[in-house]
Parts: sequence; structure tokens; C-alpha cells
Amino acid sequence: MKRSNLLSLILLIGIGLFGQSLFVIEARLSELVTGVHGMADIIGRATPPDLSSLADIAWPALETLDIALFGTVCGVLMAIPFAVLAARNVTPSRLLYFFARSVIGLTRAVPDLIWALLFVTAVGLGPFPGALALSVHSIGMLGRLFAELIEDMDMGAVEALTLTGAGRTQVFSHAVVPTLLPSLLGIALYRFDENLRSSLVLGFVGAGGLGFHMLTAMNLFQYREVSTLLIVTFLLVVGTEQISAALRRLTA
Amino acid sequence: MVHEGPGVPRLIVRRLAKRYPNGKVALKGVDLTVRGGELVVILGSNGCGKSTLLRSIVRLIEPTEGQVLIDGHAVGGLDAAGLREARMACGMIFQHANLVRRRNVLANVATGALGRHRTVASAFGLLPRCELDAAVGFLREVGLVEFAQQRAGTLSGGQQQRVAIARALAQRPRLLLADEPVASLDPESAREIMALLRRLATEDGLAVLTVLHQPDLALAYADRIIGLRDGEVVFDGGPDEISASMVDLLYQRCAA
Repeated sequence: MKRSNLLSLILLIGIGLFGQSLFVIEARLSELVTGVHGMADIIGRATPPDLSSLADIAWPALETLDIALFGTVCGVLMAIPFAVLAARNVTPSRLLYFFARSVIGLTRAVPDLIWALLFVTAVGLGPFPGALALSVHSIGMLGRLFAELIEDMDMGAVEALTLTGAGRTQVFSHAVVPTLLPSLLGIALYRFDENLRSSLVLGFVGAGGLGFHMLTAMNLFQYREVSTLLIVTFLLVVGTEQISAALRRLTA
Repeated sequence: MVHEGPGVPRLIVRRLAKRYPNGKVALKGVDLTVRGGELVVILGSNGCGKSTLLRSIVRLIEPTEGQVLIDGHAVGGLDAAGLREARMACGMIFQHANLVRRRNVLANVATGALGRHRTVASAFGLLPRCELDAAVGFLREVGLVEFAQQRAGTLSGGQQQRVAIARALAQRPRLLLADEPVASLDPESAREIMALLRRLATEDGLAVLTVLHQPDLALAYADRIIGLRDGEVVFDGGPDEISASMVDLLYQRCAA
């Protein structure tokens, strides 16, 4: 088949796939247009933001931040050993390689929301199950990226240190870690940004933080408090993104 | 560094052979001896087994047959701990310096002594104070002490290779192996590195075995030249004994 014909066929298939998605999701433009009034009504009721609730929001905001912090730190600490086992060029055995790859695959494939539901069932409502959910999900997300970094690294320094008679752990801490540290930190900081956004959503299933407060405020039709929560969320996300970007520049 | 004088065999290789799983024979029973204070150069074209020979000596590649003795101790059949011990006595320098580019020069040199300090602290990335102090001395020996606190990756190729030599010296080796140490350097830096290896052999009594691609450098600095062709030693003698036709033979294409 000619390349131009193949591209046309791929384009047609793409259009067909998009068309069936409109059917499956029951897309109705008319309802979107009529729904604008409802949206405008909610926005009207959400303004001006209720700034008097700011004092009450401070604690859940800290919870959200700490859920992301705990989830990222524990995720990094647990992802590193799995990444070492899951990197072809440094894994001590094939069996451990497949075991680590399976753990990384499983923790990544199950969404953090599902992990949060599982942990809420296990340890009850509050920020702790959210933090645990992000820790476990981060093992998969970080473990895969860390393993790829290790596989792609220049093995020259590793080989050189191995030949000095250094042990496996020494080679890892003196050659692998210093070589990969800036990249590892960069990925961990990106993960922190992701975890912060995720921790907001996890609140909707009872895992504490700003999300949990937002759900409560919406259920009670307190839209002015919801808009204050959204503003705080926006500032938190943008602020941490700026700080992590500055840290990434510093460690590059 | 302890100078025990020339003449002591530091490396003995007997009937070393290597056949790869794909059937390619890289080494066909190589014999050689390198003594303390001696600088021996291996010449030969690409694919003739030079790197396989060096890598087989330290068991980065497992030889199929033969025996390697470093300082009288057989390297073959050693367990992991024994092999680490054997490797400590044998410094290795590569074509590229293979430094940890983000660490400073001093730390890179001190890592050469890690095998002597298998402590919990060293497993966590810390270097013993005494080795950092000693590293200053090794840097002085290679003429780079003023760069001690600079990141290794910021140095020139020749300087990085000198740091790699200092790291090898931090092992307190009796034997230095060098796999094309000047291949990626400009002629001036190449001569500096060869002069340094020459000095380490002559003044410190190290046994130095280096693979080179430059016959002129071999003639200028070697005590002995070993010509390798198709995995076999076809010449072993002094630089004044090797003929132009032998050099031509060594650099003719090897059989596949």
C-alpha cells in the first residue's frame, strides 16, 4: 500500500473511532448549551468567595500538602530498591527482575483512587489512607522511570569502581547515585506535583485534605466556600510547581 | 608507594584462550609476563583480542581456558570476595576516564580505595578521611592537585585520564592495566599520559601493561612490545627489535 493511502486509511480509522466515542458517551451538545444557565447560576452563588472560611481551610490545606509529601518521600524510598532490581544492567538475578517489574506494573496499573478506597477500608477515613495510596502508586510511577534511568546510564564509572575491588553497595552509592541523583530528584519533584493534584481528588473518597472539605461544602451547597477552596488549591498547586521548578534548576 | 624493584613478575598469563558463545575465537593461548618496573605495550589492529585480553585478566570477561596470576595469586576460580581482593592489586584505566563526572576530582580519586574500606559509612556514599588525605598525594603525583575541588566532568580529556590514573593509584596497585588510555586524546595529552605511565613504572616500580594503537608511542615509551594478531602473540620483544614489516603485519586486517 502506498504511504499516502495508508495515511488516509489511518485518518479515516481515527475519525471513525472519535465518532463512535461520541455515540458511546452519549454526547449531547444541546444539553451543554442549556446547562450553561445552571453553570452560571452556580458561579453566581459561588461569588464572592467566602474569605471568612480561610482559617478553617488552613489545616486541610496543610493536610493536602503533607499527603503529597509523605506519598512522594515514601514512594521514592520504596521505588529505588525496586528500580535497582528492575534495571536489566544492575539486577542481581532474573527472578528478582521479574518480581520487581511485576510489583512496579501492579502498583502503577491500579489507579491511586482505587488504592485510596482500599486503604480507607483498611485504616479508616482521614489523610493517612490518602498518603498510603499515593506512596504505593508512586512506587509504580517512579520505579519504572528510575529503572529506565539506571538502564540508560553510562556504565563506565560503574565498571571502573567495580574493578577497584569495591562492593556492590559501594558501587551503587559512589557511582550510580551521584550520576543519577539530579535526574532522580527532578523526577521525584515532578511526582510531588502530581501527588499534590492527586491528593485533592483522593479527598473525595474520604482520604482527607482539601478534597474532603470541597465535597462536604458542595453537599451542603456552600458554593462560596467551594470557590475559596478552589482559589487556595490553585495557589497551592502553582506555588509548589514554582518551588519544585526552582529546585530542579538548582540540582540540574 | 612501596618500590620492590624491577624484575618481580606481577602478571603472568599462561595459555589464555577465549571463545565467545557465537563461536568467535578472540584469544588463542596467549602467554605473557609483566614484571615490576616494566612498561609493556600491546599493539594490534581492532578485533584482534587486545581488549579481550585485558578484560580476561581481571575477569570482566571469563576466559575459556588458561591461567592468570596477579602477584603470584591465580585469579581464575576465585569467589566474589577473592576476586575483589585480586582486583584491588590491579588498577585499570580505560579509553574514556570513566569518572563520576558530577563528583569532585578528590572524591573520584578516593573512590579507588573503596575496596580497602568496606564499612557501613562507605556503603552510604561517605569516603574515609584518611583516603581523602591520601588522594591529595595521588593528585600531586599526576600533577592535578590544584583541581581537587573541581567537578571531574569540567576537566579536559587528558586531565580526566590523569585523574583516572590517580584513582587507580589510590588502590595501591602493583599492576596497572590500560585499555587504549590515549585513544581519545590529542597528541600532546597522549604523550603526557604515556610519560606518566613510564614514570610510574620506572620510579614507583609498577608493572604497566597498556594497549595502544600508536606504534610511535610504543617505540618511545615501552620496555617491551607484544604484537597481537588474530588472538595470538606474534611478536614479543624490545622496541628496537620490532621491524616496520612487523608493525605493518600487526595492522593488516584480522581474519573475521
